Parts: sequence; C-alpha cells; structure tokens
Amino acid sequence: MALTEDRPLALPSGGSDDGYTPTGVFTRPTAETGARSWFTTVDHKKIGIMYGAAAIFFLIIGGSEALLIRMQLWAPRGTLLSANLYNQVYTMHGTTMVFLVVMPIGAAFANYLIPLQIGARDVAFPRINAFSFWAFLFGGVFINSSWLLGGGADGGWFMYAPNSGVIFSPTHGIDFWNLGLIITGIASLTGAVNLIVTVLNMRAPGMTLMRMPIFTWMALVSQFLLLFAIPVLTSAQVLLMLDRGFHANFFNVSKGANPLLWEHLFWIFGHPEVYLMILPAFGLVSDILPTFARKPIFGYPFIVFSGIAIGFMGWGVWAHHMFVSGIGPISVTTFSLTTMFIAVPTGVKILNWTATMWGGKLKFSSPMLFSIGLVTMFTIGGLSGVMHSVAPMDSQQTDTYFIVAHFHYVLFGGAFFGFMGGFYFYWPKAFGYMLNESLGKANFWLMLLGFNLTFAPMHVLGLQGMSRRIYTYDPGYGFEFWNKVATIGAFTLASSVALFVVNIFYSKVKAKNLPPVGPDPWDGRTIEWMVPSPTPAYNFDPIPTVTRVDDFWYRKYGETKDGKLVRIASTAEVAQQRTDGKGIHLPSPSYWPLVLAFGLPIAAYGLIFSLWLALVGAIIVVGAIYGWVMEPPDDPDKAHDDHGPDAHASDGGDAVVADPVDAVKEVETVG
Amino acid sequence: MQRLPKIVRVLAVISFTLVVVLFAALIVNSFQNAGKPLTTLTPQGPSSESIQKLLVPVTSIAAVVFVGVLGAALLISWKFRERKDSDPDEFPEQVHGKTALEIGWTILPALILAGIAVGTVMTLINLNREEPNSINVQVAGQQWWWQYKYDVNNDGNFDGPEDITTATEMVIPAGRPIQVTTTSNDVIHSFWIPGLNGKRDAVPGLRNPLKLQADEPGIFRGQCTEFCGLSHANMRMLVRAVSTSDYDAWVKNQLKDHAADPTDPTALAGKKVWQALCAQCHVIDGINDVKMKETKPPLVSGVAPDLTHLMTRGTFAGSIFNLYEPVGSDGSPLPMGDVAAAGDPGAALTGGKVNTATVNRVTLEAWLRNAPALKPMYPQGGRGMPNLNLTEEQIDQLVAFLETLN
Amino acid sequence: MAESLTSRPTLAAADAQQAHAHIDADTNTGISNTKLGMWLFLASECLLFGGLITTYLLYKHPLEGPTPHEIFDIPFTSTSSFVLLMSSLTMVLAVSAIERGEHQRMRVWIGATAALGATFIAGQIYEFTVFVREGLGFTTSRFSSAFYTLTGFHGIHVTIGIIMLVSLVLLSLRGKIPEHRAETVEIVGLYWHFVDVVWVVIFAVVYLIPS
Repeated sequence: MALTEDRPLALPSGGSDDGYTPTGVFTRPTAETGARSWFTTVDHKKIGIMYGAAAIFFLIIGGSEALLIRMQLWAPRGTLLSANLYNQVYTMHGTTMVFLVVMPIGAAFANYLIPLQIGARDVAFPRINAFSFWAFLFGGVFINSSWLLGGGADGGWFMYAPNSGVIFSPTHGIDFWNLGLIITGIASLTGAVNLIVTVLNMRAPGMTLMRMPIFTWMALVSQFLLLFAIPVLTSAQVLLMLDRGFHANFFNVSKGANPLLWEHLFWIFGHPEVYLMILPAFGLVSDILPTFARKPIFGYPFIVFSGIAIGFMGWGVWAHHMFVSGIGPISVTTFSLTTMFIAVPTGVKILNWTATMWGGKLKFSSPMLFSIGLVTMFTIGGLSGVMHSVAPMDSQQTDTYFIVAHFHYVLFGGAFFGFMGGFYFYWPKAFGYMLNESLGKANFWLMLLGFNLTFAPMHVLGLQGMSRRIYTYDPGYGFEFWNKVATIGAFTLASSVALFVVNIFYSKVKAKNLPPVGPDPWDGRTIEWMVPSPTPAYNFDPIPTVTRVDDFWYRKYGETKDGKLVRIASTAEVAQQRTDGKGIHLPSPSYWPLVLAFGLPIAAYGLIFSLWLALVGAIIVVGAIYGWVMEPPDDPDKAHDDHGPDAHASDGGDAVVADPVDAVKEVETVG
Repeated sequence: MQRLPKIVRVLAVISFTLVVVLFAALIVNSFQNAGKPLTTLTPQGPSSESIQKLLVPVTSIAAVVFVGVLGAALLISWKFRERKDSDPDEFPEQVHGKTALEIGWTILPALILAGIAVGTVMTLINLNREEPNSINVQVAGQQWWWQYKYDVNNDGNFDGPEDITTATEMVIPAGRPIQVTTTSNDVIHSFWIPGLNGKRDAVPGLRNPLKLQADEPGIFRGQCTEFCGLSHANMRMLVRAVSTSDYDAWVKNQLKDHAADPTDPTALAGKKVWQALCAQCHVIDGINDVKMKETKPPLVSGVAPDLTHLMTRGTFAGSIFNLYEPVGSDGSPLPMGDVAAAGDPGAALTGGKVNTATVNRVTLEAWLRNAPALKPMYPQGGRGMPNLNLTEEQIDQLVAFLETLN
Repeated sequence: MAESLTSRPTLAAADAQQAHAHIDADTNTGISNTKLGMWLFLASECLLFGGLITTYLLYKHPLEGPTPHEIFDIPFTSTSSFVLLMSSLTMVLAVSAIERGEHQRMRVWIGATAALGATFIAGQIYEFTVFVREGLGFTTSRFSSAFYTLTGFHGIHVTIGIIMLVSLVLLSLRGKIPEHRAETVEIVGLYWHFVDVVWVVIFAVVYLIPS
C-alpha cells in the first residue's frame, strides 16, 4: 500500500518546551513522521489507513483461498486439495473475508471519515482507537498463523456444534479461530464504543444528528449493531473455548446439550453482522451518488430512518438461518414474516438512490460507476434474500450454492462495490493524488464481469442441487459447465483486484507530474471536502459551523426557492487553507496500545500451547494497562487552558489524558 | 469530460454484453433440468410441488423488480448523463425528496410482500400437516452415511423385532406418504431429497419431522447439506420409490434374519472372516445382532451400516458407489459413472436371487482393500471404515459372503 | 428542505466565532466521553451476560449429578448477595464524598466497597469448594458447566472491579485524582453498580426461581 508519510503534521507535542519532564519508561513517543510513527500513532486518519492496508493484505489471503476453492471445483473430482485441506480453506476464506476484510474496510472508512464528516479533531479515545486496530491486526495474524501451526479451522465460518468439538476436530485449528475471533471481537467492541461516543459527543457546532452525512449515520448504526452483536458471539465462543479446552458440556449431546444453542447464539450475532457489513457501503453510496448527480440525496430522512430500521429489524430475523434446523413451525412462520419485511427499508433505499439519480446531471467517474454497480448488483442479492425469507423455498435453497450466490451478491456486489467506490472517491482526500480514471473504469468493468461470471452461475447451480461446502462433486449431476464458468469468473475478479492495486502505484508515480489535487476534486457536498488534501493532522482549522445537510455544498452554492442552484462562492474561497496548526492540541502518540494488543495473541497462544506462555501474555497485558494508565499526558495542563480557540472542541475529552478507566475497561472484555 | 482510451470502452462493451448473455443463458438453463438428478426445479412429490407453486410467482415478482431497477438505472444513466456540450455552471433542479412518493414506495413493497406472506403461510401449513396412513421412518445421519429405521408395526418404536433397520438406501412405496423423523448420532447433518421435499437438519438429540411422498416409482437422489466434517461431500442419499406390491415384498424380505450358513465354501470362509473382523462394528441380523445390542461398537456414532440385506441395495459407502453395474467407463473403482442409472439390485431387492454377474466387484473389492483411500474418513478416530489389511484371498471370500446377503 | 438563497461568504468568520462560543459545552450530549463510553460498554455487557444467562436457563436441569435444588444453600448465598448489595451503597457514598472534595472519606468508602466485594468473592470461592466436594465438578453435567461459567464470569467481573477500586485508592493517595478528575470515581462506580445489578438478576434466575 502506498502510505503517504509526507503530510505536514501538527505542532511537535510532548517534549520539554512546555516545562513538563516525563520520566523513564513512561515517556510518550514523539515521532510523528517516518515508519516508526505508524506504530505509535493515535491519529484516526493513520489508523484508518492502516485498517485499509491490513484489510487489503487479508483480502489477498482470503482471495487466494477463494481461487484455491474455485480451482478445486473446476472439474468433477478435483484433486488439487484434499477433503481435509478444502474444509480448512473454505472455513478460512469465509472467516477472513467477513472478519478480516469487509469489517475492517468498514472500520477503515469509519475511522478516517467520521471525525472529518462531523467536524472533529479526532475520535473520542485516540489511544483506544489505536488499540482497536492493533488488536484486530494481531487477531487476524493469529488466526492465520494456524496455517503454520497444524492447519486452519475446519468447521466452516459458522462453526456449528458439535462438529466444532474436540472429538470431531482434534487439531488446534478451531482453537485458533475461536481465540482469534475473541481478540478481533475485543477490537470491534472497543472500536464501536469509541466511534459511537465520537459521533454522539464530538460533532462540530451546528452539526445536529439530522445534518450528519449519511455515511456517518450508517456507520453509527453499524457500530451500534457491533456493540450489541459482538458480545453475543463472544459469549458463544467462551462456551466453545470451555468445551474444547476444559471439557465443559455446553455442546456435549451425551450430557443433554442442545446443539441449536450454538446456532441461536451464532446467528443472533450473525445476522446483525450482515447488516453491519453492508451499512457502511450504503452510506458511502449515499454520499457518492448525490455528488455525481449534482443534486441532493432524495429523501434524506427516509434514507436515515430506513438505515435505522434495518438496524433494529436486523435483530428479529436471525432464525431465518435455521428454517430447517427443527425450530418448529411457529418459529419458522414468525421469522419468515419478519425477514420478508426487512426488505421494505432496504427497498426504500434502492428507490431513493434511483430517485437521486433521476433528473440529475450524471457524471460517470469511477466512484459513480461502482455506486451504480452496487445499486443494481445488491438488488439481485436483496431479491434472492426475499426468496429465502419464504421458508418453504428456503428449505430447498438453504445450504446450496444458491445461498453462496445470494450472500456474495450482498457482500461483494453490495458491500465491496460500495467500498471500491469509496476508495476511488476518498483516495485524493487521504493520499493527495487521484487514482487514474481510465484504469478505474477498466477496474470497474472487469470487476463487474468477473463478479457476475463467478457468482451468477451459482444461483443456477444451487437451484439444480449443488450443495455448499463440498470439496468434490461427481460427474453426472450437471454441475460441470457452470463451475467452469465460475472459476473463470473468479480469476477475472482477481485480475480486477490486481488492477486496483496496480492503479494505486501507477497513479502515485504519475501524480508527481500533476498539479496537487485540491481539497475538493469532485465538487463535494460534505465538510470533509473543505480541508486540504491530504488531510492535515489537525483536520479542521478552524472547526466549521454547520448550518444544514451538505453544508459544504451550500457554502459554494445557493439555492433559490424553486430549486435552482446558483454559485455563490468558488471552492478556493470556502475551502480551508493548510495552516501550521499552531495552538491546536492533538493527542500524543503512545506505545501502549501496541503493547497491550500484542499481549492478547501471546495469551491466546498460551491457552493453546502452554499456560506458562499465557501467563507471559497476561503479564504483558497487565503491564501495558499499568503503563497506559500511568502514561503522562504530553501536555498536562494546556488542554484545560485557553490557548487556542479549538482546544476544547478538539481534545477528545479526557481520553487524551491518561485515564485508568479506559484501560481497565479493556481488561474487562478480555475477561 | 475527458475521452477514455479505446481499450477501456471496448472492455466496457464486452463486459456489459457478456453479463447480459450470461444472465440470459442462466435463465434458459434453469429450465433445462433433464439429467440433473439433484435439481429442485422438477418436483416429483406433493411437498416439492407445493414449494414449486410458491417458487414460480415469487421468482417472477423478483425478476420483474430486478428488471425494473436495472432498467431504471440504465435508463436514468442514459437520459440524465452529462452531455459534452453542457454548461458546467448549469445544475439540475435540486429536489430534496417528495414525501408522498416515498410513503408510496414504502407501502408498495410492503403490500407485495404481504401477498407473498399469505402464500408462504398457507404453504407452511400445508407442508406441516400430518398425513393419515403414513409410514414412519426414522432417518439417522452419522459420519458419513444414513441409517433408516422403519416402524413397520406402527407402535411408535423403531427398534422392535417387527421393525426394519437398514442403511444407505431408503425404499418407499410410490403414492403413499412417508413421515420421516430425522436425527443424528454424531454431528448435525441435513437430509435432503430435492425431488420430493425440502431439507431437514438431522440434529443429535432432536427429532425433526419431514414429509416425503413420491408421485411415481423412481430413483430420487439426495446430498447431505449441512456441513458434517471431512467427507460431507461424500454423504449422499438414495430413495427408491417402488410399487406397493414391491414394497410389501421388500418389507417381508427385510424382516428375515440371515439364516443358515452359506453352502459355497468360499462364502462360508468369508463369513468366518466377517465374524472375525467386521462384526465389531457392522451388524447382520441372525449373526451378531443380539450381541451388538449389548456392546456398543467402538465408533463415535455408535453404529456402522447394517449389512443384513446388503445386496438389496443399489449403492454402498454412503451411496457414492454403485453396488451393481453400470460402473465408471474404465472399469476402475470409480463412483457412479452415470448417476441417473443407479445400480439396480434387480430381483434381489425383494428377496430374489442376487445376479452375481452384475455385481460391481471391482469397486467392492477396492473398498475392502483400503476403504479410506476411496472416501476420506477418520478411522483412527473411530469415524469411518479402517483399512483392515485384508489379503486378496480374504477379500474374495468376503465378497462371496456379502453376495449371499439378499 | 428547500431553503432560500442565502449569502454565505462570511461563514468562515462565523466558524471562528462559533468555535469560541462553543468552549463551554464540552460535548454535544453534555455527558463526558468517558462516561458515555462506559454506559455503552455496559450496554454491551448486558448482551454478554444475556447469552450466558440464556445458556443457564436452557441447561438448568441436569441429566446426572446433583441438581440445583440439592446443593444450593440459599441462606448463605442470600447473605453474600446482601454483602454485595451493601457495597453499592458504600460506592454511592464514595462518589458523594469526592464530589464534595473529601478525599480521605472517599478513600475510606472505596476501601469499604472493595472489602465488601472481596467478602462476596470469598463467599463465592467457599461456595464453589463446597459444591465440588458434594460432587458438582465443572464437567459433571450440563447444569454444572452452565452454573460455574455464569457465576464465575460474574465473579471475574467483581474481581476486576475490586482491582479498579484498589487502584483508585492508590491513585488518590498519590494525589492523582484531583478535583477535575473526580468523574473517574463515578465511572468506576457505574461499573460497580452494573456488576451488582447483574448479580441481582443472576441470583434471582439461578437461586430463587424454582426449577
């Protein structure tokens, strides 16, 4: 990943110029540029970029696993992978894509954009933010390290009991999966608390909730979903850990356990999980479409409330994953109906997006193409979702390739297309150069083709009886042709992702000969386009006062009563200039988030291999918390003096100062 | 607007065209279900037919909605695209929303869904209704084959002396409802005969109901659809629907125990081998059924397929191999070459003589030689058939003995 | 939504003014970030305990081994529950003390809270050893696994709370809790009250509701 490190940064903080002399080990790091700064940064923008880079790293791993799956299924009785290896590969593919790719890309955008969209200096708890990232990264590396330590998990990403028990899966793969996801769960939970507090507490003056950009709204809803969904998964995983490691009886059928307990807990988490993956992409598209249609989003309140409605209804539909598990006809009917009606708010969104484009002056830049791609491709996934909500039909379709097609249309055609649009849209804001448009469009068309070639045939394969999660199929079932098409599609899709990576580097090189990109390359609408590109460390100087939705747009344009738009100011007049950031207090970097997060996988390795190692991990965690709590604020008193107009609006509350509660809170989630 | 390089424009056209062609081909192909034994789209029993009656209108509505959205997106993209000669300072009308319209398109999908909901509930009621005069069969999944128990005397107990225990294949009379109860002896499996009904998970500790009924005699295939470990892909089912008279004859034959020793000396030697090596896990009524009821076999699931009437089945090893020809074209120990023409046990099905000339000896012998090589299993963990390191002579004797099990 | 054409060139100046005016209100909600964060975290904890309580309810009838009915010593556990509830009272007194700036008194009440919490934990450890002696091991039955996991998880929460309380006392002794950081005590108090309330639910569900 091209990570720009040449951005001018705020004042050097910490140090001795303010008369404070830190002692020994608790000195706060001061480097704000250079490779080391990335390890200690608490800047939401750098953390967002690292989330994105890590997610693309894991995307390459998960994508390679997908290609292995497709090569194995190229022809009947494939011999590339053994049954055992195939089961590990498909399990790790699902786990990686859900927890280590789609969720962190959502977190990348949320981290980078939320403070910019609401007019804040940083998130509420910058150090916890850094901790969330490192815990996610170490958790992901921990899970994938299982490949080198006896093989990956082999129970499917849904890890149904009792197949996930020690008797049926005696290797450590599932232990890696389980403990690793507990670690990434801690990361998600702390991240959710952080971002929710940021949105609720740190909005710029005038930025009421109903003036927030839609991405921030959708990210807020999805963080609430995380806040409540993750602990349910964690509780299930604690049960699984106790079963596997300490011979508890939660999933031991011979002692009267009910295997459906795991299914219920998993899907109470799992279905909100689906919505929390897709909502950030919906938000991105809701911001991109108006920009390139040059008219406001159609029905802002409807878009917002339908997002909230999806968030609420997402809690009442989990058992539609279990229509054939034997939950009884009453439950089946109930969940069938609730699931059907969750299509209403989703449909509202699609229609509103279409209406936003209607009557506009559409400019088909790459972000716009990906957004239209989302609107159409997600519609297919949404409609096949309605088909599954019809429980009798689901009894034929569930656990066949039809489902595989469905959720890839949702998560790839929906979430990932939205993310691609977001990458192209926000790249200049984050890195100061535009991605090449021609390559971007080629990227889009290749991805659209590859995506449909891969996943559209799976609808028919599923309806014609191909079961999911099978490492082989026999000739004579009629599965040969479409599997070949899907495999060709998968490689096309992979090449489109490769083209994106090429575009990143190509454009970076080309950008040297181009004039610097201004703050507002797309004629944007929301206030993040006011600030220079790449965004300065302090974000805004001064913090803007917001008066309406699309505030920045209406600083450039006025609107007459009959809806005519008149330019009232040039971008240069209303955009902010890069300043030296003097007088702006920013949180100082810290080692402790990294150290604390590093203790978690050490403890987890210990739980698998040796309790002594677990003790080492625990000591690192406890030591890091102590260090965190005792860490001096770089600027002990300044934050509370009036040394600049923005000090209070910006300092992220007390969290910038060392705070024991924050730290202990995280131990809590470990426990 | 800057002009795109030609290659990108060509790519866009190719990509768009291919996607359209792909969608058309998929729609056409979904109507071509001949030679696709697992298809859900050619229902052959009342339950699957009622599902199909729901599928057609719901899918049609979904298709209309999709075409509407796609058409609208394309039309709008074309109609409202920025023209090259347009004035950059001219902006479209700034519409922020129209509440009436939005309420309208909130209610409209809700109404369509309400219609679908009515159909759904009616179908669910229909699928869950108990049929009079049905045959009760308990289907138990285990890694990686299915066991079937018939409550022949209808006393609610599947293990009485009047009841049948068999494996791998389910025989049913056409036209008569079967009340299946699924369960499992180890992990969660899912029992699915797409031609006859949707699937039902086989969950250890639970008993889940499922109705099956075939309109006509025939072979109906299935595939386990809940991931159940290593050989999930190799866990298949076969339902053989026969005429009522054949079914009655089959039941009568199944109730018979293995009686006398085989007369053929090779087969007799095979029986000795079987008793020495196979009887620890497998059961043959009349040889070790009483003993097996007292001592649980050393398997995680606690059972191995009942072999009392092995040769009345057309398939073995979780229905992945034909017990009778046809076999793979090269004669090697392959899974079924032609899936549709499952090995037909012929007269053996109803207790007649086994036609030894058509027995698929190649695969059967290969299986006895080294079962885990043909189907991934965990025999070391008590899950699946081990390699017993039999001599070729023992294999010949065993096959001769197995051929007497009609 | 259509607003009339407004002239906006003075906005940048307005931004700067507004930022000054904004200094008094620290956050949009008026609740400090840390306190709001703690509330959200506790909301999330509800779901975690929800999962474990549901599991217990599903598994409270064992197929073998002692039943809840046979082994519970309701008077004993009621007493230790009472001790834990009293610690909420001392916690309230501690918060009220720091709000009045009485550091010494705050330390005493926090110490009392920690001591009461420790008494509860000691009671729980004693109870567990008695149960194990009576044949209810962690792996004995589905009930035993669910019981020890739920109550043990709560016990870990109390223990972490005690560590936080002791840390507060130490920090206070070193003068690290000045007036403007008094809220820290309140936030630890929130956590402590939450742990108490959860125990009330667990006590009712596990010990009081007849099987």
